[in-house]
Amino acid sequence: MKEIVTIQVGSYANFVGSHFWNFQDELLGLADSPESDQIFKSHGLNMDVLYRTGETPQGILTYTPRLVSVDFQGSLGSVSSRGTLYNEIPETPVDTLTWTGPVTTHTSQPLKKNLFLQSLYLEENANLGSSRGCESENSDSHTEVQDEDIVQSLENEVQYWTDYSKVHYHPQSLYELSGLWSEINDFNNYGIGREAFSGGQHAEEINERLRFFVEECDLPQGIQFVVDDSGGFSGIAGEFLENIADEYTNIPVLLYSVHSPDSGMDSRNRKLAISRKLHDAVSFSKLSAFCKLIVPVGLPSLNTSRMSKYLCLEDRKPYHTSAVYASAIHSISLPFRMQPLGPSAQLSNTSGAVKIKDLVQMLAGQARQNMVTILDIAMPAPAFTGTQAQQSLLEILQPLTPEIAEGVEDMQALESMTVHGAFASGMQKSHSFEVKDAVQAAYLNAVERPKFSHLSIAQCPLPIPLPFPSIFGNLIGRNGELLDTPISESTSRGSLEVHSVPMAARLRSSNAVLPFLENRLANLRKFGLARGALGTELLRNWGFGKEDAEELGEALSNMVTTLNPASLESSDSD
Amino acid sequence: MSLKVLNPNAEVLNKSHALHMNINAAKGLQDVLKSNLGPKGTIKMLVGGAGDIKLTKDGNTLLKEMQIQSPTAIMIARTAVAQDDTSGDGTTSTVIFIGELMKQAERCIDEGMHPRVLVDGFEIAKRATLQYLEKFKTPVVMGDEPDKEILKMVARTTLRTKLYEALADQLTDIVVNAVLCIRKPEEPIDLFMVEIMHMRHKFDVDTRLVEGLVLDHGSRHPDMKRRAENCHILTCNVSLEYEKSEINAGFFYSNAEQREAMVAAERRSVDERVQKIIDLKNKVCADNDNNFVIINQKGIDPPSLDILARAGIIALRRAKRRNMERLVLACGGEAVNSVDDLTPDCLGWAGLVYEHVLGEEKYTFVENVKNPHSCTILIKGPNDHTIAQIKDAVRDGLRGVKNTIEDEAVVLVRAFEVAARQHLVNEVKKTVKGRAQLGVEAFADALLVVPKILAENSGLDTQDVIIELTGEHDKGNVVGLNLHTGEPIDPQMEGIFDNYSVKRQIINSGPVIASQLLLVDEVIRAGRNMRKPT
Repeated sequence: MKEIVTIQVGSYANFVGSHFWNFQDELLGLADSPESDQIFKSHGLNMDVLYRTGETPQGILTYTPRLVSVDFQGSLGSVSSRGTLYNEIPETPVDTLTWTGPVTTHTSQPLKKNLFLQSLYLEENANLGSSRGCESENSDSHTEVQDEDIVQSLENEVQYWTDYSKVHYHPQSLYELSGLWSEINDFNNYGIGREAFSGGQHAEEINERLRFFVEECDLPQGIQFVVDDSGGFSGIAGEFLENIADEYTNIPVLLYSVHSPDSGMDSRNRKLAISRKLHDAVSFSKLSAFCKLIVPVGLPSLNTSRMSKYLCLEDRKPYHTSAVYASAIHSISLPFRMQPLGPSAQLSNTSGAVKIKDLVQMLAGQARQNMVTILDIAMPAPAFTGTQAQQSLLEILQPLTPEIAEGVEDMQALESMTVHGAFASGMQKSHSFEVKDAVQAAYLNAVERPKFSHLSIAQCPLPIPLPFPSIFGNLIGRNGELLDTPISESTSRGSLEVHSVPMAARLRSSNAVLPFLENRLANLRKFGLARGALGTELLRNWGFGKEDAEELGEALSNMVTTLNPASLESSDSD
Repeated sequence: MSLKVLNPNAEVLNKSHALHMNINAAKGLQDVLKSNLGPKGTIKMLVGGAGDIKLTKDGNTLLKEMQIQSPTAIMIARTAVAQDDTSGDGTTSTVIFIGELMKQAERCIDEGMHPRVLVDGFEIAKRATLQYLEKFKTPVVMGDEPDKEILKMVARTTLRTKLYEALADQLTDIVVNAVLCIRKPEEPIDLFMVEIMHMRHKFDVDTRLVEGLVLDHGSRHPDMKRRAENCHILTCNVSLEYEKSEINAGFFYSNAEQREAMVAAERRSVDERVQKIIDLKNKVCADNDNNFVIINQKGIDPPSLDILARAGIIALRRAKRRNMERLVLACGGEAVNSVDDLTPDCLGWAGLVYEHVLGEEKYTFVENVKNPHSCTILIKGPNDHTIAQIKDAVRDGLRGVKNTIEDEAVVLVRAFEVAARQHLVNEVKKTVKGRAQLGVEAFADALLVVPKILAENSGLDTQDVIIELTGEHDKGNVVGLNLHTGEPIDPQMEGIFDNYSVKRQIINSGPVIASQLLLVDEVIRAGRNMRKPT
């Protein structure tokens, strides 16, 4: 067993995570359901890698994500931070056992559960009723909530990431930060997050929760860390990561730093703009220092990207955009869960299993040691028929990492690609050898070829759970196949019309990421390090003295030189 | 206004508005917290939007749960929380004192006094009060054997303001014994050496002190003993996991044999480490039926667990970092970072090690240790909010005891404020020239706020109480307040004491913040976030 512990820090990271766990939950559900397709029943993935088995005090077995999530107090909406699995039978009307004096009660307005959560709740009670064999007829009398209404209400009403989560979490999983005393909008820089984490008991409590999950692991293969790096949460994550690097020296961390489209919005306020640019530089430099592989994710706008051909995304809805990122993270995580098999792998449902450590070694451990990778996806992946499609696969891959160069030549590029659920001709699922041949052919025809490329293949496509947003365009069929003519009038299709999608996702270590790094380095130099820079004071307020700031700059410039040795000469003139 | 010219978006509040904004915020915060104060205060139950319950009587916890927005209130709250961080108690009192200073100041300022003069008066009064506190405090001699009774009185005074009496009294013994257990002569007390562990179980009165350590995890192998007596304890930080070494983690092998060889070699080095531990076990347990327990900060993988289980060793993995230190203090021996030079001297000793399972939660008790310098307070409660509340109270109690030992002094409860006020009005005021006198008087009156609110929370008439108390004081008696009857009492007789350092801190920080807030003459809100709220 090679367990993964997942950590989500920050609001947007939790939006992404919520979708991610919905996919896992859907996979688990489909594997058990008698009606589902053979592909889902024997998906060949080991879910125990991400999930843990537990037991409630009543002796009921549970299966919950191995997850630590950190967010603002109040960000869980109508869901309790302890979840519902481990709740005992409702206690007698809340009794204060510890105080005999007077009691005053302050009750917040109970948040109304949306249609989706209500229907989950009903379903659960119905299951409970029928499993106990009593009043099962009664449950039918419930006014059934229509799926269409649910999808509609989610489209319009999602406010918290819990609003569309169908997963049961362990009581140790969800941690709310209390006592921040700042408005969410002001919680926007590295310093404030770092301060919030160092003071008080937060750090200790969060580390304890992580230890709870790690202690259970027989042989952890790594930590999958998603952080919302647009604000104070990267400060929290930075401190947290430092502790992890200290405590679990042998467990590699794969870090996704996600950014919601709207958080990159340009502000007219000059001071704020400087603060934002400095924050980006500082948080990237800090976060990358304590992980093995960092994947910056988050385009300034998804709606205007190439993806809009097949997907209709609204940038201002984190519910929409996070779904795309979650799909990509899901695809990348598939090889970590595949069973390593012998030479007969060709015939099985999966091939190309790697562990997090192997992936890190593959992409960042060799000659160039570049740890910043680019994430590309094709959602949906095209069918592997004929030669045109082979070419289009590489073309259709859309980077989700911002500020990268296109069409650069890099002789030393390294890649790891996952393709799952891809079609061969017609509606046939393609076998792994077909995919392998097709991808190889595609690379042969391509202009730029990586030095090394690893390919993982699974038969099982991305399942679309009910609470998935309606983001598919009308060129996508029921099973995610690409159509030549629009299938319907309506422009967006959701989980009711599309049941699964084939996916391709790729991590690549290439010098295309140079602009991303150079921008950060330039901003740090311009606003933070240069003599009389506008942001020196700001950096000091965040707790970075002159030397600390220079160290951050050093780290960034090292990353640049790794990829572009030529830059060393040019930067010497500074 | 000039700023308007520079930045048309800036919002500016002028002098009197700014001042009143600050005063109102301070008063508002005081109003929220004042009903909490004292052994007769109310407990607050906070029910969140999702139905989560929090119970608290602790000002510190309450402040952290509140979504405070006003910048003034945040400033006060930060001071109060800092108070808690440094001295462990007095959060509510700090907030109330600052609020009262602002209230008194408002009265003076409305009568036309300049804040500057007022602040000068505060400063004089503060210094005089601190001097008076030095005289007033009751010194306690802390020799090698501290006076347990006085420590208990202090702990009881704190705990009774947080928990009902029977429980408070039970915890009093626990916290005093815990601090005395970890105390080493000539060394500062490190309260982290008291582990606080909780179990969701039965009733709150089951809370107890374990002389030894309770860990929140158990062994991970079915064949390991669940209970063992006479145990050697090995505390270590050694990885017993098979892992590819970082440097030659060759992902590419030229052939299968090479890969096999590599894997075998790496596995062998783990097994060798395990074998060294087993050798030590065989050495110390050879001619007796003692047991051997490993508590490791790093991981132990299943094959290693297997070998250890076969050798009759109990092994725990991924222990808290802090427990490494605690274990050594509790059991003796030393924490080792490598198995290369293990000797029997590294081992600690415990008379009893056993596991307790509650659902999926496992606890390991390491008990019957010789001469422990670390211990565990095991809190049991029926639900999370009860546990959380007891935990807070225990922390405050521990710090109260620690403060007393370090201060070597205590202060009579509810008597100091009255005495200091009389001292300020009768003696200090005369020595001050000019209008600063009024500042001293305002400060003196503000001091009375704590007894006043205590009386109010007990349903007594505040004016009667204050008149009676000051009257008694003027006769030369040191008196406190009986919260049941409203009669003056002698706190020395009742055995109720406060921490000297907490009092000192309140007197010190309250006026500083109040003065800063009073001297504000313009509030500028520039550079506002123009982003639309998401």
